[in-house]
Amino acid sequence: MTDTAKRTSRPPRVLVTKIGLDGHDRGSRIVAAYLRDAGMEVIYTAPWQKIEAVVKLAVEEDVDVIGVSSLATDHLLLPDLMAALGAAGLGHVRVVAGGIIPDGDEAELLRAGVNRVFHPGSPREDIVATVSHLAAQARATCANG
Amino acid sequence: MSEQPVQLPLPGFESARAEWRQDYDGRIDRDGSLRNRSGIEIKPLYTCEDWAEERYMEDLGFPGQLPMTRGIYPSMHRGRTWTQRQLVGFGTPEDYNQRLKTILAAGGTAGSLIPCNSVYRGYDCDEVELPLLGTCGAVVNTVDDMDLCYRDIGIGELSTAVNDPLPFTLLALLLAVAKRRDVSWSRITGTSNQSDYISHFVANHMFFRIALPGSRRVLVDHVAFCQEHLPGWNPISVVGQHMQQGGATPAEAMALTLCTAIQYAEDCRTRGMDPDVFLPRFTFFFDISISFFEEIAKLRAGRRLWQRIVRERFGAKNPKAWRFKFHAQTSGVDLTRQQPLNNIARVAVQAVAGIFGGLQSLHTDAYDEVLSVPTEEAARIAIATQNILREEAHLTDVIDPLAGSYYLETLTNQMEQEIEATIARIDAAGGMFAAVEAGLPQDMIGKSARVFQEKVDSGQETIVGVNKYREAEEPTTAPRPLERPDQSAMEAHLARFRAFKAERSQAAVTAALDTLARAANAAPGTPGQNVYEKVVEAATAGATHGEICACLRRELGFGQPLVMP
Amino acid sequence: MTDRSAAAAGADAGGKLLERLLDGEPAALAKAITVIENAGARAAQVLAGIQSRLGHALVVGVTGPPGAGKSTLVSALVGELRRRGKSLGILAVDPSSPLSGGAILGDRIRMAEHACDPEVFVRSLASRGHVGGLSSAAARVVDLMDAAGKDVVIVETVGAGQSDVEVAQLADVTVVVCAPGLGDEIQAIKAGILEIADVLVVNKADLPNAERTVAQLEGMLSLRDPGTATVPVIATTATEGHGVAELSDAVEGRAETLGGSARAGKRLERIRQDIADSAAELLRRQLNDSDDDGLRALCRSVQRGELDPEGAARRYLADYMGNKA
Ligand code: B12
Ligand SMILES: Nc1nc2c(ncn2[C@@H]2O[C@H](COP(=O)(O)OP(=O)(O)O)[C@@H](O)[C@H]2O)c(=O)[nH]1
Ligand SMILES: [Mg+2]
Repeated sequence: MTDTAKRTSRPPRVLVTKIGLDGHDRGSRIVAAYLRDAGMEVIYTAPWQKIEAVVKLAVEEDVDVIGVSSLATDHLLLPDLMAALGAAGLGHVRVVAGGIIPDGDEAELLRAGVNRVFHPGSPREDIVATVSHLAAQARATCANG
Repeated sequence: MSEQPVQLPLPGFESARAEWRQDYDGRIDRDGSLRNRSGIEIKPLYTCEDWAEERYMEDLGFPGQLPMTRGIYPSMHRGRTWTQRQLVGFGTPEDYNQRLKTILAAGGTAGSLIPCNSVYRGYDCDEVELPLLGTCGAVVNTVDDMDLCYRDIGIGELSTAVNDPLPFTLLALLLAVAKRRDVSWSRITGTSNQSDYISHFVANHMFFRIALPGSRRVLVDHVAFCQEHLPGWNPISVVGQHMQQGGATPAEAMALTLCTAIQYAEDCRTRGMDPDVFLPRFTFFFDISISFFEEIAKLRAGRRLWQRIVRERFGAKNPKAWRFKFHAQTSGVDLTRQQPLNNIARVAVQAVAGIFGGLQSLHTDAYDEVLSVPTEEAARIAIATQNILREEAHLTDVIDPLAGSYYLETLTNQMEQEIEATIARIDAAGGMFAAVEAGLPQDMIGKSARVFQEKVDSGQETIVGVNKYREAEEPTTAPRPLERPDQSAMEAHLARFRAFKAERSQAAVTAALDTLARAANAAPGTPGQNVYEKVVEAATAGATHGEICACLRRELGFGQPLVMP
Repeated sequence: MTDRSAAAAGADAGGKLLERLLDGEPAALAKAITVIENAGARAAQVLAGIQSRLGHALVVGVTGPPGAGKSTLVSALVGELRRRGKSLGILAVDPSSPLSGGAILGDRIRMAEHACDPEVFVRSLASRGHVGGLSSAAARVVDLMDAAGKDVVIVETVGAGQSDVEVAQLADVTVVVCAPGLGDEIQAIKAGILEIADVLVVNKADLPNAERTVAQLEGMLSLRDPGTATVPVIATTATEGHGVAELSDAVEGRAETLGGSARAGKRLERIRQDIADSAAELLRRQLNDSDDDGLRALCRSVQRGELDPEGAARRYLADYMGNKA
């Protein structure tokens, strides 16, 4: 087995977190369980994380994907998170967001580098497939970069 | 030419039932086993075998009488309709003032104040990122802000529900405004809507939180203060809505709410207060999901259990203490982003369940619940829905109109048992406070949320437009303009906030906060050291919301929301 | 890419990674841990590169039943050690789900206080099916943290029989945490804990019966041989920080009594253990992949009841491994 092949066999590592002031956690708890049950290693945090803390955590845990759940407009801080990740050399880490994110804001988040936005009612399979695909992408980018 | 009428002898019960069973089984090909959200098996038919008239007095009685199943007042909605309480809050205090006036004009009969998320988290507007200010509620930090919220509105005439978590700074600011306007505190009526710190630890992880033991103490101080100074104020609203919205089943939500109420009542009694005096001021707040009969049964069973609990556990003799007064809100979790206009139908069904469940006050969700905070049009439709149900559909004409239904009465009894089983579990864990410290209700709710989601994911529970009857392309509504607080208005508000702080008497504020800190460190119940009294004094002296919260967070410790998936 | 150029690229990246790791750069430490977790050639290279830099860190193992308050206590301990000027590495091991292989790694949720402290590096590890509960990579990760210059490395693991012993092998000082009301559990773990614990903690001292639990444990300790090292029993309330300074003293004191040479001896012991583990793993793989006639014959003998599996294993080792070696 080559080194790269082995690397892909390691379960994806995903951070599921919430930034800003929002405390809705029904969705983030469910999504964390989805990902665990799909064989991923999920680092789960309490709500209210500071951007600085998310970046530090992403570095230390060497995550492939960061999933931010936002239902009370805290997604407005996501562009700041994207910038902070870039500055910390985590450009390869993929970021997805989920929750209440109005259409108008979605376009802006995608422009800021967020890879995908999930809305209420998103099917489980879509979430799992997207995150695992993005994790593989993150690893490939990281290995080449 | 007329036919001869066919005369048949009445069949016997047994043989008719057997015949029906056979016909039924012949037509139903799948295993007909169904369960409601609380896990109770639902049969296809209920008869007098399940519930019979002999149980009338034991199970039902008359409205306003024990066991309270049929309602807590003799006249119920026929005498006094429910309060239409729409929650509003957005942007600056001026924005709130505008919205409130619109709601009152549209037929709303009471005001609710929803503060900004920054307020919930215990911060002033200068402590958080500007884009987050006022997006979900009004930014209210100072006595001046509160004055603006109620400009041209008589605070002595309006019943106000304030979404005001511990340490109740918003009520304190309101009382400071009353002083300023020379309105007697005895005319201030309403409810501390978010006094239930336990529900915040369990399922609402946003509201400002002092560590559990400190919260426990401040709540009791608050009740004592209100008892002394605010005869028209309900200091405690026990919130089952958070737990159910967080994922608890209807039965679990009712059980956990009752356990929480028991805890608060015990804490007040331990402080030496009289249950016959404080219990009549307890109010409740429930979620109404679209599981129609289950919700009606839940509310009726809750009413019956509460009167028993207060009599058996607290020896309450005052009939007012037996009344299970509650506000209810239609469930937002049942609403969908897909085909959003469908939500108008859902909300109507939920509201009917709540009305038949005997609520005292109702909030109907706007159909755009899943898109953002409601637009004005959506909020208007939500109120119209209530008006239609009341005045066009005549739902208020008859008290507890579904009573005596074999199904509903059976279900009410079964829900009651289910609720009691969970209460017993919490009792065994040492009561609600201890159970929450150990994380028991948090885990229960997470598990139930997953079980429900599992049913949605597998298609076992249908959600129209989401897992069935989907439309090809999404979104189905035109992208709508986003309502966001006007940034320049928010900046002006910030400037005004800074000016307020610069102009007030700093010495008076410092002294008031010192007094507050001392009270927080005194033993609970020490005469003259009521923490809430000091909060009100600090607010009156010009201390801001954030300063008061910071002081208590420092003195009483901060409680992290440590809930796992 | 040919095999050779891939290896060269790996070596190059490995070299730089090593340098940055030894400089204590968090991102490099994080990547190196990933490399180790994945095993493979690059891992061997990194491991070889750090050997000469090991032995600085004091390694503290924290074990005990789920819910005893280990993570909360680690967070409090970290706070205290930070006040004493130490830098820290924390390795938190949680079980993987046996069904999906996934895991929720939630220990650091209790360590929020240090979420922004650059001197505190936390890594969560899933046990990934390793029997003892300690991830098989744990010992190597500890070494990496040591090499990255951490003064103290704390390993938190769910105490489940075997992993108690494993953590004790790994750590210079082993702290066993229990909580009052877990009376039965004390009975259950009693057999193992007295041998491995250097410090016993009764956490949740704010709850009723804490004193009784302390007394119980002290009673059990008093029955041991008079010659064995004394094991302090410390009552803590992790949520409020009570007893944590005392715990830090006990841990640091224990490290001092141990002294450098004892710790070095322990490390040698660990290396031997590592070699044994690796040898067993290599052998297992070889046997599983082999379609050797002799091995097949042995299988049939076991099937016919002529040999038991252990006897067959012995014969295999003697006949084949011996010849091949
Ligand atoms: C449940 C709920 C609550 C519960 C929260 C319980 C809990 N512990 O989570 C309670 C009652 C406590 C609550 C309170 C409040 N709420 Co609320 N709440 C909701 C509600 C009705 C449903 C959210 C929900 O849990 N849905 C079920 C879960 C499973 O779905 P989900 O989170 O959307 O997740 C799915 C996807 O979005 C996606 N996803 C989500 N996150 C992630 C993350 C990743 C990584 C991925 C891959 C996918 C993903 O996958 C999931 C599965 O499909 C929404 C409206 C709505 N229908 O969405 C309002 C809503 C979010 N609440 C709102 C508000 C304003 C509040 C309050 C501030 C109200 C108040 N003023 O008092 C408070 C305080 C908030 C707090 N808790 O911190 C607003 C927010 C407005 C806005 N964004 O502009 C909403 C939109 C309602 C409204 N229109 O007013 N709320
Ligand atoms: N009462 C009390 N609870 C504690 C104490 N320490 C931890 N806890 C609680 O115990 C639970 C489990 O804690 P955690 O640190 O995750 O335990 P672990 O599984 O052993 O890591 C959490 O709810 C903690 O808040 C303590 O000293 N006193
Ligand atoms: Mg732990």
